[in-house]
Parts: sequence; structure tokens; C-alpha cells
Amino acid sequence: MNFEIINPGTTKELLAAVKKFQKENFRFGAGCTDFLMELKKNPSEGLTVINLSQVKDAQFNGLKKSVKGLRMGAMLTAHKIVMNEEIKNKYPVLHNAAESLASTQIRQVATVGGNMCTASPSGDIACALASLQADCELLSTTGKIRNVNINSFFAGLRKTVLKKNEILYGISIPANIKSTKNIFSNFIKVGTRRSMECSVVSLAYHIQTDSNGIIIKAGAAIGASAPTIRFAATACDFLIGKKFKNITQKEKEEFAEKVLSYASPITDIRATAGYRKEVLFNISKSIFE
Amino acid sequence: MIKKLKIIGTPVPKHDAAIRVSGRAIYGHDIVLPGMLHGAILRTEHPSAIIEFIDVSEAKKLSGVICIITADDADVNNIGYKRDHPILKKGEANCTRDEIAAVAAETKEIARKALNLIKVKYKIRKGIYETSEALKESAPQINKFSSGKFENKNIAEKFHYEHGNIEEEKKKSAHIISRKFTLPRMTHACMASSNITASFNNIDKKLLLYSSTQVPFLYQRDMAHALKMNPSDIRVIQPVIGGGFGSKLDMHPFEPICALLSIKTGRPVQLIYSREEEFIASPIRQPMEIELTAGVDKKGNFTFREINIVKDNGAYTSWGATTPFVIMQAFSSLYKIKACRFNSTAVYTNNVFAGSFRGYGNPQATFALERVIDLLADELGMDKAEIRLLNANEKGEATGQGLHYETCGHKECLETVIKKSNYKQHAAHNRQSGRFLHGTGLASMLHVGGGAKIYRSDGCGTILKIDPYGYCTIITGSNEIGQGSETVLAMIASEELGIELKKIKVINTDTDIKPWDVGVHASRTSFVAGNSLLGAIKILKVKLNKKAAELLKTNHSNFDYSDNKIISLKSNDSIALDKVVREMHFSEPNELAIADYFYEPSSKFQDKNFKGNVSGTYAFASQAVEVEVDTYTGNVRVLNVYVAQDVGRVLNPLLLDGQIEGGVVQGIGYALTEELLMKEGKILNPNFHNYKMLTAADVPDIHFFPVETIDKEGPYGAKGVGEASLIPTAAAIANAVCNALDVEILELPITPEKVLAAIAGKKKLKTEKI
Amino acid sequence: MKKTKTKTEKLHEVSFTLNEKKVSCKIKASVLLLDLIRDVFELKGTKPGCGEGECGACTVLINGAPVNSCLFLAVNADGKNITTIEGLTKSDGSLHPVQESLVAHGAVQCGFCTSGMAMSIKGLMNQYENSHNVPGEIKNGIPSRDEIKKHLEGNLCRCTGYVKIIDAAEAMFKQEQ
Repeated sequence: MNFEIINPGTTKELLAAVKKFQKENFRFGAGCTDFLMELKKNPSEGLTVINLSQVKDAQFNGLKKSVKGLRMGAMLTAHKIVMNEEIKNKYPVLHNAAESLASTQIRQVATVGGNMCTASPSGDIACALASLQADCELLSTTGKIRNVNINSFFAGLRKTVLKKNEILYGISIPANIKSTKNIFSNFIKVGTRRSMECSVVSLAYHIQTDSNGIIIKAGAAIGASAPTIRFAATACDFLIGKKFKNITQKEKEEFAEKVLSYASPITDIRATAGYRKEVLFNISKSIFE
Repeated sequence: MIKKLKIIGTPVPKHDAAIRVSGRAIYGHDIVLPGMLHGAILRTEHPSAIIEFIDVSEAKKLSGVICIITADDADVNNIGYKRDHPILKKGEANCTRDEIAAVAAETKEIARKALNLIKVKYKIRKGIYETSEALKESAPQINKFSSGKFENKNIAEKFHYEHGNIEEEKKKSAHIISRKFTLPRMTHACMASSNITASFNNIDKKLLLYSSTQVPFLYQRDMAHALKMNPSDIRVIQPVIGGGFGSKLDMHPFEPICALLSIKTGRPVQLIYSREEEFIASPIRQPMEIELTAGVDKKGNFTFREINIVKDNGAYTSWGATTPFVIMQAFSSLYKIKACRFNSTAVYTNNVFAGSFRGYGNPQATFALERVIDLLADELGMDKAEIRLLNANEKGEATGQGLHYETCGHKECLETVIKKSNYKQHAAHNRQSGRFLHGTGLASMLHVGGGAKIYRSDGCGTILKIDPYGYCTIITGSNEIGQGSETVLAMIASEELGIELKKIKVINTDTDIKPWDVGVHASRTSFVAGNSLLGAIKILKVKLNKKAAELLKTNHSNFDYSDNKIISLKSNDSIALDKVVREMHFSEPNELAIADYFYEPSSKFQDKNFKGNVSGTYAFASQAVEVEVDTYTGNVRVLNVYVAQDVGRVLNPLLLDGQIEGGVVQGIGYALTEELLMKEGKILNPNFHNYKMLTAADVPDIHFFPVETIDKEGPYGAKGVGEASLIPTAAAIANAVCNALDVEILELPITPEKVLAAIAGKKKLKTEKI
Repeated sequence: MKKTKTKTEKLHEVSFTLNEKKVSCKIKASVLLLDLIRDVFELKGTKPGCGEGECGACTVLINGAPVNSCLFLAVNADGKNITTIEGLTKSDGSLHPVQESLVAHGAVQCGFCTSGMAMSIKGLMNQYENSHNVPGEIKNGIPSRDEIKKHLEGNLCRCTGYVKIIDAAEAMFKQEQ
């Protein structure tokens, strides 16, 4: 493993560095956990790492609450997400997803931006953010910000829409609807062990109901079931207007079928495609049980 | 009369725990010697290939590379239990682990770089990865060094055993069940990867090895054979060992390779496996298929067992090939069984070869055996606890194989777990509907508890001395691999000599110093080394008593040793132990306070039909396990494990708990999550991410109830405990899952995917029936 | 802004606090914290277990929080406060309560995971003590047994079955309270 590194201390320096290396072999290093693993296995010749962890910029590292929702800098760590009260109370799906990511040690350094930009189909935080319909801020070397909805952020297996001169700067999640009375929000991660798993299948959901228990907004996303994390739009639409507590067995199954329609899983050493589908169907139903 | 014990039976923390918890213990990874080089091994790219040529010229040019060796540079003998294993491979590769070349370089990075510069031309062959393929007439001979004494060229080893009249017992059977079980590859995954530091001194031609072997004296001999040296010119020093579990019973090729690199360079060479290498190139638990047919009469008495086992030997033969010694014992002698016929065949393939692993074949055997007991109970309509209690082993029993149970806690173990787990209530109420289903399962085990007389001696030597300051040094042949044997020995010395623990040192790491011992295996160390120490203490006390009597001006030798003093039981006069030792040393007839003793267990070699009382004593255990099965995902969660084990006597409850809990958790891994996956001879999951050892978050509540039977052969009545706790766990879990789901499990590990498939299979059966 | 453009590998100066002592050294960009600690500072208590962030044997504390040193770039240690197992023991050799509890509960067998376990438990202790000072962060009571188990998920152990380690942590927290 051999590479060079540059350590920008400010966002301005960061953008200057990105601009300078446009024609060269460079990569960003955030928490570096996935990245170092990859590099240990497949060393890359003449690589320069643009180290993001020394950039001092509250907008890049911090978390901010507003009336519109919550904005997280891309360098916010999984641990900070887990420890945040607002996230735990209002977006349990994100709290649970961050908490189920790898291990205590990894969560100290792993970042939300890293989890997004790795664009793994089994990214836990990314899956939760998809269910929350987060918005991504892509900052280019020109200093301009382009906003992209998370649904459009993932371009394919381990690919994003980020251009070479762009960096993921922040992620915003919309506030829960004002008339929301109850939230049914969770991250279901299926694996062999109770910890240290890379999802075999995962389902993130964030469902809001009004004072009558009627579903007024629903978000559900699936992980490890397709080349990218996918938002199950038709399944979500199907729920709107239904009373959460009164969902029938038939409706549960219809919802699960709709979720499943977004899945095109593969068979690998962790599970077969058939298993992934069966379990995704089952856990989709389980939301209402 | 046994006097009241002061130390034995108390929860003394591990002797050197403070050193280990401070990061001060020196493991193989931490050794740095002056001028030390770093070794690395190039392994084959293909599990079955002709090696057309090896070109090391580019690698040799790399600055910092000191030495590169291939088979052509090595004048060595084959290694392994059957001497069928060349340490560096020439002409062909037969297994994904095969060592093609080795490098010694100034740094680890240079050594690794050099490996990439070695060019090897392979002609890929079609490998043989199934035992059934290997046994075909048309199959090529996989190991050209095989003994060739069997009817098929690819048979590495065979065992046949029988007792009783099978045909008679079949006639008496009301029900006969026949099943085939498949057992996976499990690997030790010690937290410290395999390592060795070799230092050959080309002035005096002596070889010093810092090695993590579990069997230093056998290792010294194997190493000498491999390198064509005199064993006594090889000194083996064991650094602190980061986990053993049987993995270090065989000498592996990397060890003589590292020694060779040191011999060739005249400099110390260190070789440490990466984690990936550890998964690829260290031993595994034997994968096998077990066909078991067993019968029961109408009252529930077991009648016979008939067993055919095919083991995947892999490309070379290790000690693992001898696991049928233990496997047949479980089948012949766990529960009363009137007739048994056992056949096992180990077959060469191009897969990775097995080694020994805690339990030594017994977890596999027990899984098959205990699953079939549940099936027999179902056929009879008999309670699964009752059928076990009816057939349980008893004190005084001599089994068909000739094992003598002088003490036997089997029934008590069963009764304990049945009661403590509320087994009967659970079993009756487990049937429920919904997503999560609960099940309860039982299993027992029998294992050697007083060594196993397999090698020419099952003995252990001790040298014991007390210095003029009253400190005691125990030089023992046995060694410490984390299990706590040092602590137990120190406790015994403290108990008997009345010396406080902090004044007791245990020296056990150096073959130049310590007396012979066969090694750490077969749950033997506390039993054998403990008895050996007691023997030495007895001899030393004769000397000490004599001097004490002289100094106390008495003519009896009725002394108590406590508080660093020798106390006359008649007059209550006392004298400090250190003073007695000084008087021995410095006044006539000037002798040392030193004694040595070699303990050989009373066990017997088995005859050629494998009959005989092979161990000094036998350990029994039963476990009851409660599981919860998620029928949506197939995940099995172990909720509670109840363990009752006949340990003879509890020597140290703290260390004993540690052995039990550690074993149970390994057993749960074997049952549910751990499998080294192979395809076409290659390992698919050589990392902790996909080889799934349990984490702290997965651990259930483990309830342990020691059963004390006070065996007269054991130190203070103790039996060996190290392996027992993992042996019945997988079987009990499988029985619990079957109980929860009303399905049949014939294979480990019971992965979520297999659980859902079993549920789906049952649904299908049901609809067909309707 | 530190940067490099030369063909020969540039060395980067890093300065940090290691076990309460200020240290600095010049290193290549790709050096991992684990190797720096073991090979340059010769602190061998931090163990190399897997090199892939799965086993936790190499856990150290960075600004009080447990991190896998095998997946941490040494250049990012700059300005940080790093504690290894050697720093947990006092200079007079007396053990930290975490270590004492591990010893007393029989939580040490082969010991190769132990340094990492001790550092993880200490990390949890720090988190529990510090969370009360950070606005917006969850304030928990003393860690429950389940929380301890969850917290130790990234530390594999092959010998003990974890029970005694969890017991040791639980007892220590109860005592600290």
C-alpha cells in the first residue's frame, strides 16, 4: 500500500486541491475505513489521497437543525449520528441504521458522506437516508452547489453522480410533517449475527401518521437487494391514506409485493437471491405487526 | 483422609493476568531480534496444477531481499502424521495452501514485494474436490507420497471398530433410524495469527525457535526430522501463545520453512501470517459425512449403532486423520450401547487439509448421535429426556470398547440440566404460532478426562525446587496456551507447600530446561501435569520433613505446611520454610530442595481392535439449550444454555467457568454461523467479515452447574475440562431448532437460509399430505 | 496546507500526545497508526489481529474514543490525544480499574484480544462520562449489560466466550457509580 496524501485544512484549500488534481489519480479519504481496506487489497499506483479529515469547516463536519429539517455535513461520523438526541427522537430509522453500522470503533471514524459515496448497495446509513428522501449537496471546485435528491445520487453499483470536480458537502433530511402525530420508523437489518454484519437484506422505513392514525407520508428503501439502494416509491404511495393500525393481512402482503418489485438481488457467499427476496417480503410485512 | 483445602476450589485469577491485561506479555508478534529478517511465503495460485517452472531471478534482484528458497534449495524430509507432506512443493500443487517459494528480506514490505516478482508457470489441472470423485477408479492419485496400503489410491487412512452382535441387536430393535449428516469446515481463528521466529546460529549450528506450538517436544522431534538435524540441537521456546484450540498440534510447513531461511542466511527470521493467510493456510475441523443407523427396543433401550464416515482429508494428512480414535469412542460408549460397528475412511482431495480442533471429532460424532436419539424418541413416542436418562452411562460401567468409568456423572449431568432448564415444561409448551418459535434441545457428551494414551507415553515431567528465600519454582513439561494451567499448578503447589501464590513461579516455555511432556491436547494438562506436580511435591516433602524434624528436634514427620511454615502437628512447633531450605543447602549433608517426577497415567494402550482403557478418567457433560427461531428471516437466537459437566472436582471456579463459556460460544458458532466456504479448492471467505465468529452481542446466558464426582485418579479428584464444553452444544442447538420448527436438520451450520428452506420443505410436505 | 508533489515519497511530520507524552515523528503518508505505535514507538501492547477493522485487538483511544488503529492513517493522529494499553496502567505499575476488573473476573485467557477489550471498555466509560457535557447528545445512565455487549461488538475473542469480559465491565461500571 503506497500513496501520497494532501491534507487541506479548510474548504477553500480542499477545493483548490481537487482542482489541481483533476487530471491525476486521486481519491478522497474521509473516515478511510472502507477505503483503506480496498487499498490494502488492491494497491493503486501513483495515487494521491485528498484527506478530508483535517478540514475545519462546521458545515462539512457538523450537524444543524432548522425548520426545514436537519442538515448533516458529509464528514459527520456515524457515532455522532447515534449520539444525537434529535435524530433518535425524530428520525429513529437513521439512528438505528447508524447504530447497526459495523462496530463501535468503526462508527467513531466512518462518516455519513463516506457511506453515501461508497455507494454500496448495503450501505446502512445511505439506506436510511433514502427512506427519509434526503437531499444531497454537491460542491464543485467552482464553489457552486448542486442539489440532488438521494434517489438520483446513486448511479449504479458503487457509482454516484458526483463529477470528478465535485465533492459531497452535506445531506439534508426534511422535517417531519407538522401534523404528524406518530412516527413508525425503523431500520431492519438482516444478517447472520446480531452485530458486525454487512446487510444481507435491509429495509429502512419512516412512516408518519396524523392524529387519526392515517398515514400521511411514507418512505421505504431497500438495501442489499439491487445494484443500488432503492426507494420503493409505489409501495410508499400505496400506504398513503391508510390507517396504520388497520392494515389488513392482504394489504400487508400487497405492500410487501410492491417493495419486492424494486428488488433484483444477486446470489453471493452471504445469501442466495431467493433467500433475499423471501426475507425482504417477510420483513416488509413485519412493519405492521 | 483429605484435609480441608485452602486454595484448591477458590476463584484465583490467572497467574499472569495482570501482565496480559497491561499489554506487557510478549507474543510471537512482539519479538524483535538483532539483525532479524522477515519471511514470507508464496503459495500456489491454483489448487491443482503442474508447476512448470519457478523463476525467482527478478525477485532476487530486489534490494533488501536476502534469500529465496524453493523445493530445489531444500534438503528436507516430508512432514505430517503420515509423512506425506513436502514443506515446499515441487512439480505439482495439490491444495490452495501449497508453499511454492519463500523469501527472507530486510522488511515485511520488501518480502511481500519480492513474492510478487516471483514468476511461476502453472499448467492448470482439473482438481478433485469431492471425496466421491476421489474414490473413482479413474481419479488420479492425489498425494504421491501416500502410504498406498489401502484398496484405493486416494484413501489416506481407515479405521474399523466393532463390539457386540449387530445382527442380534437389529432383531431386538423396535425401531431403526438411519440418517446421513454433513459437517462443515470450521477453523480455529485464534486471535493471534500463526507465527514463528527462527534463529540459527551458524557458529555452534544450533537452532533456536520461538514457536507457538502446543506440543514442544513432539515439535522438536518433527522439526529435527524435517530438517535432518539432531533434535537436541533444536531449542524450542514458546512465547505467550495467542490461542491454540488444537491448531498448533501439528507442525505446519511455514515453521521448517522459516527455520530453513534462518539456516540459509545465518540470521534470525520471523514469519507472521496475515489474517487472510491464517484463514487460508491454518488447519480446520474435519469436514465429514456421517451415516448413522441406530436402533432402540420397545422399552427405549438403545440396541446398536452402525456408523460409516467419509472424511475429506484434503491433500495431506495431519493429526486430524486420527480423530476417529475419539469419534468411535463417542459412538461405542456414550450411553449404554450393546453393539457398535464403526468404519471411517479419510479420502485425499485437492481441498485444504484438516488438523485437530478442540473436541477432536467429537462434536461431529455427538451431533449425529444426539440428533438420532431425538428421532428414535419420536418414533417410540417417548420423552426425549426420559430416553436419555434410561440409557445414560453409570459409575462402574465397562463399555463395549473397554473404557472403565470409575466415576461417572452422566446421569447427574442430565438430571441437572433437565431440572435447571425446566426442560419438561418447555418441551410441552414450546408449540406455538406466530413469527418467533421457541424450542428446547438436549445433548450429552463423553470425552477423555485423564489424557489419552495415543503416543508412546502420555506422561509429563516436573522439576520442583524451593530456593533459600522460600520461593518455589515449578519447572513443568506442560505448557500454557491461555487456558490457565500455570495457575492451577501454582495453586496446587501453594496448597501442598503452604507457600503464598506470589512466591510461586512456573517455568514452562523452554525445551532446553523443562522435562518431557507430550503436549497440550486431549484436555489433559491439569490432570497430567497436576498429578506430576503432586508426585514431585511428595518427594520433596520427604526431604523437607527430614530436615524440619531435625531442626524441630522431633522424630516424627507429621507436618502441616502453611503460611510459609512447616508446623508440627504434634507439638504445634513451627519453623519457617525458607529456613529449612537454607539449612538443607548450607549445613551438612548439603543438599538442594529439589525434586523431579515423571507421571504416567494409569491408562492403557488400546489393542489393535481399538479396545482398552485409553484414558485415566472420563468426563461427561449434558447441555440443554433454548432457542428462538425467527421464521421470517431464519435466524436462530440461542437464549439460554444450561451446562452440567462432570469435572471430577472444581480446582478453580473462575478458570473453569472461562473454559465452559468459551467452549459453549465456540459450539454455538459451529452450530449456527461458522463455516469456511470452499469452491473448487479455494476458500471464499478468508476474513473475519465473512467467516462469522460470534460477537459479544450474540452471547446468550450460560448457566453452568459443575458436577463433582471426585475421581481417585485425578489431582484432588479433578478431570480434564478443556474440550468438553463445546462438544454437545451444536447437537443440543440442532435438537432445539428441530423441536421449535418440527423439521429435520442434518447439516451444520444451521444458517438462516437453511432454516427457511427447512420450513418451506415442511410446508410442502404438509400440503402434499393434505 | 501540507502537500507534496515530489516523486520520492514525502515524509509528513506528525505531532501528537501519546500516553500523556508529546511525541512527533516523520512518516510516509500510507503508514497506519497501528504500525507507528508498534514499530516506531515500540509499544507492543496494541495487537495486530486482522488488519481489517473486524477484530478490535488493535483498539486505541483517540481523544478518548475507541478506534481501530489498523484502519487509521497515522497522519491523522496529528494534534490528537492517543492512549494505548500501556497508557492505561499508571507509571507506578498500578492497574486501571478496567484492568483490575478484567483480572478479577477471569476475563483474560490467551490475552491477545485483552488490550483491545480494555481500551474499548475504557472508551465506553469515557463516552458515558462525557455525554453529560455535550449539548444535544443522548444522556444515558450507566451502561446496561446489553449496552456493554453492543459496545463490545467490534472486539472479537476466541477464548472466553465474552461472558467474563462483559461481567468485568458491568461490575466496573457498578463500582464507578
